Amino acid sequence: MTTATALTTQVYSVYIKATPEQIWDAITDPAWTVRYFYGARIEVGPEWRKVYSPDGGDDWGSTSVQEFDPPRRLVHEWKSSYNAELAAEAPSRVTWEIEPQEDGTTLLTVVHDRLEGAPKTAESVSGTGWMYVLSGLKTLLETGEPLSA
Amino acid sequence: MDDDDRVFKALADPTRRHLLDRLFERDGRTLTELESELEMSRFGVMKHLRVLEDAGIVVPRRQGREKLHFLNPVPIRLIHDRWIDKYTEHRVAALADLKHELEETG
Repeated sequence: MTTATALTTQVYSVYIKATPEQIWDAITDPAWTVRYFYGARIEVGPEWRKVYSPDGGDDWGSTSVQEFDPPRRLVHEWKSSYNAELAAEAPSRVTWEIEPQEDGTTLLTVVHDRLEGAPKTAESVSGTGWMYVLSGLKTLLETGEPLSA
Repeated sequence: MDDDDRVFKALADPTRRHLLDRLFERDGRTLTELESELEMSRFGVMKHLRVLEDAGIVVPRRQGREKLHFLNPVPIRLIHDRWIDKYTEHRVAALADLKHELEETG
């Protein structure tokens, strides 16, 4: 008997030439996130992850935070409030793991799981979804420039 | 060997590409599941998975007593960003469309 894990757990990882602290700042500070996370203003604290549109006017998916352990681990709920159809689905979960490596780089792993009740969200964040975010984050931290659109 | 070298090396083998296709169809699988779809010894599949893991294209995660293998497309995306986006995305897209069309009608 095998478990159907297709798309209900998604794993993305990337090595970045940066310190865990730099990566932590880049994922929790809106001044950074606007430059690589589809323009979203994301501010993360111990209780809440606030996600707003670039002008700050719309809530794009603010959720509660389950684990807040700077600069190593962040776990929060995920809601796709930026799209009405996706917003109607059940919340899922995102885990960020930040592990320094011996060669001075840092391994960042994003696990998006508990997507059983959110098949459209699962579809939407796979494909270019998370890949664009992680690729953009790496480019920004390593070169100081965002990816060209 | 740098990161890109490892990705190209990992992709330069039909068995490893086949493993990636299996994971693309259904992600998060055990060695035993993957082995059952290949005409190859367990040791052989492990060796190929190891090369894919070194390149970061496959990420192993423990889930309870099982070790599941997940497809991580980010390293391939980085090569895309480095070699395709910047130079020729429009032309490549046109060619991909053309290839698709010819294959559909052919």
